[in-house]
Amino acid sequence: MPHNETVEGLGLDEYKYHFVTRDKPVFKSRKGLSEEVVRQISAHKEEPEWMLDFRLRALKIFESKPMPTWGGDLSTLDLDQIYFYIRPQDRMQRSWDEVPDEIKDTFERLGIPEAERSVLAGVGAQYESEMVYHSLREEWENQGVVFESIEDGLKMYPDLFREHFATVIPPADNKFAALNSAVWSGGSFVYIPKGAKIDIPLQAYFRVNAERMGQFERTIIIADEGSEAHYIEGCTAPQYSTESFHSGVIEIIVKRNARFRYTTIQNWSNNMYNLVTQRAMVHESATMEWLDGNLGSKLTMKYPSCFLVGEGAHGEVLSIAYATDGQHQDTGGKVVHVAPHTTSRITSKSISKGTGRSSYRGLCKVYEGAVGSRSNVECDALLLDETSRTDTYPYIEIDENEATIGHEATVSKVGEEQLFYLMSRGLAEEEAMAMVVRGFIEPIAKKLPLEFAIELNRLIELEMEGSVG
Amino acid sequence: MADGVTTAREAGETEAGVAGSRLAAFLETLDEPATLLERRRRAWERYTELPMPTRKSEEWRYTDLSRLDPESHVPFAPESGEEENRDAGDLPEQAARLLEGMEARSAVAVRVDGRTLHRRLDPALAERGVVFAPIRRVARERPELLAERLYTSDVSPMEEKLWSLHVAMLTGGDVLYVPDGVRVPEPVHVLRWAGEGDRLLSTHTLLVTGREAEVTWVEEYLSPDLESPLLSLSGLELFAGDGATVHYLSLQRYGRGVKHFSIQHLLAGRDTRLSGLNVNLGGDLARDDVTSHLEGPGSESEMLALWFGDGTQHFDHHTLQHHAAPHAYSDLLYKGALTDSARSVFRGLIRVDRGAQLTDAYQTNRNLLLSKHCHATTLPNLEIEADDVRCSHGATVGQVDEGMLFYLMSRGLTRLTAERLLVFGFFDEVLERVPVEGVRERLRDAIGSKIGL
Repeated sequence: MPHNETVEGLGLDEYKYHFVTRDKPVFKSRKGLSEEVVRQISAHKEEPEWMLDFRLRALKIFESKPMPTWGGDLSTLDLDQIYFYIRPQDRMQRSWDEVPDEIKDTFERLGIPEAERSVLAGVGAQYESEMVYHSLREEWENQGVVFESIEDGLKMYPDLFREHFATVIPPADNKFAALNSAVWSGGSFVYIPKGAKIDIPLQAYFRVNAERMGQFERTIIIADEGSEAHYIEGCTAPQYSTESFHSGVIEIIVKRNARFRYTTIQNWSNNMYNLVTQRAMVHESATMEWLDGNLGSKLTMKYPSCFLVGEGAHGEVLSIAYATDGQHQDTGGKVVHVAPHTTSRITSKSISKGTGRSSYRGLCKVYEGAVGSRSNVECDALLLDETSRTDTYPYIEIDENEATIGHEATVSKVGEEQLFYLMSRGLAEEEAMAMVVRGFIEPIAKKLPLEFAIELNRLIELEMEGSVG
Repeated sequence: MADGVTTAREAGETEAGVAGSRLAAFLETLDEPATLLERRRRAWERYTELPMPTRKSEEWRYTDLSRLDPESHVPFAPESGEEENRDAGDLPEQAARLLEGMEARSAVAVRVDGRTLHRRLDPALAERGVVFAPIRRVARERPELLAERLYTSDVSPMEEKLWSLHVAMLTGGDVLYVPDGVRVPEPVHVLRWAGEGDRLLSTHTLLVTGREAEVTWVEEYLSPDLESPLLSLSGLELFAGDGATVHYLSLQRYGRGVKHFSIQHLLAGRDTRLSGLNVNLGGDLARDDVTSHLEGPGSESEMLALWFGDGTQHFDHHTLQHHAAPHAYSDLLYKGALTDSARSVFRGLIRVDRGAQLTDAYQTNRNLLLSKHCHATTLPNLEIEADDVRCSHGATVGQVDEGMLFYLMSRGLTRLTAERLLVFGFFDEVLERVPVEGVRERLRDAIGSKIGL
């Protein structure tokens, strides 16, 4: 077992952008996956017996399920070359000052300190496989909000944890959910008490930094009756020469009359396989909103889901995908109507540029008995180059006649008239193009917190540079 | 190899592993031109190699073939090519009745259990070079019409099993050839009646038109309700020349007890205009797999379908609008209504190849659910690899409009009648696109009697 192995040993110095900090992991499991690795992870985390059993059961399920053959190309993903567990720190950090300089430096490059200063209230910043920094604003603590690392959640709130863990996404859900269930490490445990209204979003930053390192974060969020909150997860990682792999599981329980919004802006480096299962169980009269932005990674397969299990529940998925050279964004959303008078909406906007490919894949399922349900799905795809590709694969399965379901999708390129008009107003072609693209994503961008919207716009502008001519 | 019979026997003998196969034995009994027999033999080999598709494949996810046992069906004896040609008066009653109102057709054929009992082609058209004959006769007399066309369709892997069975077990087929510049003024109408269960009926249609030719093809599938199941396989290959206008209509109104599988490949040349309509009303299970290949710039393809399912009927529609050339246009409108415990599946794909710029492609699927226990699944897909395109698709699932129902009921109609009228109106958007009035009326009658109007 390679204790105290450093990143130098991994040859990261060869990394061409030299965007590497010298961290010193305390513990690193060996490459590949086995029962031994799973036992080590569990032992290292000093977990209760039931969790070890759960992990081992999940490992068997993972081994028994075939690799998916639909969606993106997973043929170059070699799970034997991945570290399933690395822990850079021994303990949680309570304040920014206690975070080691090396790690701060990485965050600095990512612009996180600014975010911290402006609105960041509680931060679970995941550096490698675990939380290293975690602070919670005082007034929230007073309101009884729990925002802990998943490991601490298990230790501090064992009953609440066990009551909800894996109830929304059981290990057998899919191969990668099973994998995550076996080796999960890091992530957040969030509990919003009854009636609590949290105005400032809870934010967590994720970051992967060791080559060939898997990251299997697991997040559980419980929004108790009548509560309101917004959780933001953003990822970014520097580029490596070999593949990287991220496979998270996010479970959310939105209880009666609660409103919850979960925002992800994923900007993994372009060698990342990002295979994530995100699902919310939405109870009576509750509302769940997924805001899902996919900009980075080599391949992302992610379909945030709402299971509308209580009467009058509402689910919403807003998805934005940006695929540029070598990228495949296979994203979308799922809404499953189980209870009567449930409503849902999926809005997807995708942009494909260069050799990028963006695919919308979604499910709208209405079970018999979900009377008076309504669902509407809209997908718009923008193609910027003749080498780019877009696909739309919606599944609509309706077993209830008293339901109203609609799906629409359009594909277009940036209109020459639009460009001509803007250029006649004095904009350069590049600026005009960026403006059209910004307008295209506007319905989603305006739902983002301001600094995210600005970031997104800046990114689009950067990506548009040199896109014309 | 000159002797076709020997070839067939050899084929049967080399098929180890299918000993005792009724279908393999069928291949040994055949006496037909070697080229056709060779195709059958190859198809049979493919059939025995391929597994039956299961619900694990995306293409068959919603249609279960596990209880389909082709071996339990006895193939109908293949046509000889030497057809009977009875007058309408000498036909069995049900076939004669079907011919009513068809006097004005440019050509008509009636097949009963695969055998042609009646065939007529307007002599003026025959003089201008139009060929309307069974495949086997064309293979003997005009083999050049089949060369590089018959069975050449690029059938997708998940359809190949049934396609191979179709080719190997072919009962009979019709070839229509319309030379350059010839306009067939009235529809060509083929009636295919099946009266026996426990049988396998496989029919093929090869439509070939020259440049600037024009024709409307109508085929109807009929049977009484059958106690023991009939397996019906049908194939269509349409090669439309540059600038041609071709309408293809299929009306499937089998009785119960029939499983019908239809694979249709339509190929459009430069500036060709195609339109196809599939109406499914009958059978226990019907699956259509329809592909429009837009291979010529400026071509147009309209793809239409209607279905009404009741009882436990299951209809499955697969479509592909394949844009391989620039400046082409395709428009798909599939509408279905379901009641009782009926199920329907629509799975459509618009594929725009790289370089197929200035494509206009549309796809719409609308479903009406009229009862508590019916199920509709719709999967409208797009795969776009060209950027200068206009593509959109839409799918809806819903009920008849309560306001409209209320209005009709306030005029004294019962709820049931009002609902049926609204379903009829729902279908009319498609029916009004049928170009020939006589055919349109026939479709309206068939639909009206199915939904009980």
